[in-house]
Amino acid sequence: MSLGAFADSRSLTMGVELELQIVNHHDYDLAPSSGDLLRLMEKVKLPGLVTPEITESMIELCTGICVDHAQVLAELTETRDALVACADKLNVGLCGGGTHPFQHWSERRIYDKPRFHEISALYGYLSKQFTIFGQHVHIGCPGPDQALVLLHGLSRFIPHLIALSASSPFVQGTDTGFDSARLNSVFAFPLSGRAPFVSRWEDFGVFFDKMTRTGVVKSMKDFYWDIRPKPEYGTIEVRVLDTPLTIEKAAALAAYVQCLARWLRIEKPFEPAEDDYLPYTFNRFQACRFGLDGTFVDPKTGEHRSLRDDIEATLKALEIHAMELKAEGAIALIRSELAGFGNDAAWLRGIQAKENLLPEVVRRQCLRWAGN
Amino acid sequence: MESLAAYFHIDRWPPHPDLLFWIALILLAGALLGDLVQRLLRLPRIIGYCAVGLLVATFGKGLGDGLLLGTDRLIVDLALALLLFELGSRVSLRWLRNNPHLLLTSVLESLLGFWAIFATLSWFGFAPKAALAGSALLGVSAAAVIGRVATELKTAGQVTERMLVLSALNTLYAVLLLKLVSGWLHLDQQGDWIQGVALPLYTFAGSLGVAALLAAAVAVALRRFELRDENTVLLLLGLVLLSVTAARLLGLSTLLVPLLAGVLLRNTSERPCIWPRHFGTAGGVLVLMLFVIAGAAWSVSALWAGALLAGAVLLARALVRSAVLVGLAHFSGISLRQGAGLALTSWPISATSLVLLAELRLSHPVLAQDLTPVVLSAIALMALPGPALVQAGLWIAREYRTEKN
Repeated sequence: MSLGAFADSRSLTMGVELELQIVNHHDYDLAPSSGDLLRLMEKVKLPGLVTPEITESMIELCTGICVDHAQVLAELTETRDALVACADKLNVGLCGGGTHPFQHWSERRIYDKPRFHEISALYGYLSKQFTIFGQHVHIGCPGPDQALVLLHGLSRFIPHLIALSASSPFVQGTDTGFDSARLNSVFAFPLSGRAPFVSRWEDFGVFFDKMTRTGVVKSMKDFYWDIRPKPEYGTIEVRVLDTPLTIEKAAALAAYVQCLARWLRIEKPFEPAEDDYLPYTFNRFQACRFGLDGTFVDPKTGEHRSLRDDIEATLKALEIHAMELKAEGAIALIRSELAGFGNDAAWLRGIQAKENLLPEVVRRQCLRWAGN
Repeated sequence: MESLAAYFHIDRWPPHPDLLFWIALILLAGALLGDLVQRLLRLPRIIGYCAVGLLVATFGKGLGDGLLLGTDRLIVDLALALLLFELGSRVSLRWLRNNPHLLLTSVLESLLGFWAIFATLSWFGFAPKAALAGSALLGVSAAAVIGRVATELKTAGQVTERMLVLSALNTLYAVLLLKLVSGWLHLDQQGDWIQGVALPLYTFAGSLGVAALLAAAVAVALRRFELRDENTVLLLLGLVLLSVTAARLLGLSTLLVPLLAGVLLRNTSERPCIWPRHFGTAGGVLVLMLFVIAGAAWSVSALWAGALLAGAVLLARALVRSAVLVGLAHFSGISLRQGAGLALTSWPISATSLVLLAELRLSHPVLAQDLTPVVLSAIALMALPGPALVQAGLWIAREYRTEKN
């Protein structure tokens, strides 16, 4: 299978995908109800789509192609409200968060769709460990070469996005010590990691052909990279974010990526290089493990500083672009969380410290997701 | 031989086994048969427990009078209390408000079910009062079977949730109906207004009061103690058992108290209330004994007298309830397939009927006399197929995992 042509898309448009947890209202464990929810949602007209995911206790929603933060937030609100209304009818709850805090993966049921059964057969227990919930952000690119340049430019900020969105401190009933334990599950997959450093689409095509010749991959879907090009949409797709606890945060993070993309494209603050990836896995680990307090190694200068400081410096640089893109509200929300409780992982740990009951933590997650 | 017995300080020869000996024997047989049923036939273990009861009754040692006295009643009350308390805690009033069609389903399923039994009994020549009392005894859902099968198969999904809520609500309606009928009988037979009105009122209010106390105590215990600690489970078990014993002493309904306590607990606190299913091993022993007793509650003579009528009643009840559950499935938000699965789970009948029968036998022995063979036969007929029907319903709805992957 060939790579295919890179579709046209308007520069800096964006689309958001969110994977959600479906839980019961009794003990707040995952509930296998995606089929029921989808059946009820069939009658509802939405700006985006609602689709099944690999296990029956996950559901994915996505926006259409949006131009700004306000549109993303409006579309997410409409879909969220419709989903919550259907969930109420079924007595199930919906929530964000990158992992379910205490679900047991051996008890998950695989959604009845051939592709999901193939994945399950191939990866075995990994596929059920893949009961994790992420946010994907698509950014429109005017052409494939620009897409690759943007991809490598954004790689520097992957630790920012991990630390800001981290919402998965608990896995199978214990505090992992990580702010984003979800990504540890992603890294277990053989084709996870980063895209090869090529900046021309032809060169990427050569790499892709070599990989398909080995028979290891068949399509772009087989790469679980942190950022990957999506030729069918004409976008690059950022895949490291944990699903946040609120749609407001999800929209703000999407706008943050959009602002970064504009800044990189217009001001070209640095030239992407292969060596930028030397501290990549170190930075990513620090972000997963320690969140905003993690250490960030500047790829150009080798300087060490905290992620929080690097994010604050970046937010300053983004101000003008946020104004141009009408994303001031998004930047303000990120700033207020940085000054307040930090990220969602810190919020979750705070609730658990007070309540000492993980099902109660999930219940609070549901309330935040529903906008209460 | 006797001198040898004396030498070993065995007082009575030949040895005279006491109650504990028989209970131990029943536990052994139940656990072994339950395991066989589960491994070889892939059916719920409780079928094995019931089978032990059926065997006991076949040898003429059953409780074919429907009186349920002494230790038997105690075990049934305690085991049912645990199951009903759990069941009650699954009734979310908010869900019923969010999904009015589910409430409608519940009301129609129960009322039309009662009516179908009333009509069948009347057709077979029962007087209206007896037929009405019979509709409560035979119209009550098999809450114990439903709760137990769901736990055993670890099912999850809409049909599981709904069958638990529907059976809990149905139990509530049936107990209320029987109390009202019983009040009416007092009024009619003895012209005793005080007995006729005050008695049902006392039962409701008193049961609600004890239930509220139990719910409050459990809520406090769940907040204060570490749940993973086995000791906390024993504390909860103690609380439930204490409240049921109190209900027995005060002449209140041993069914209503735990059921209402569960409902109150679930709906007064937003914080999730979670404890190990059936209160761990201690509860498990009681539940096993409950199904053995339910299985043993028949006699050849009762079956001879009531089997035909019981079959007709069960058929009418199943048809009417299925029609409601399948007919309203779409409106309450589930598929037809799920509706059909849910319908199957509504067919069985079990220990709750036995308790209601025992209560009626105490308050109105003459009236209960005629109903006894029908009720006992119905319980016997459903003892083995009942749990299998619930499993089949859940299988149709694909709510438990059959393969290991």
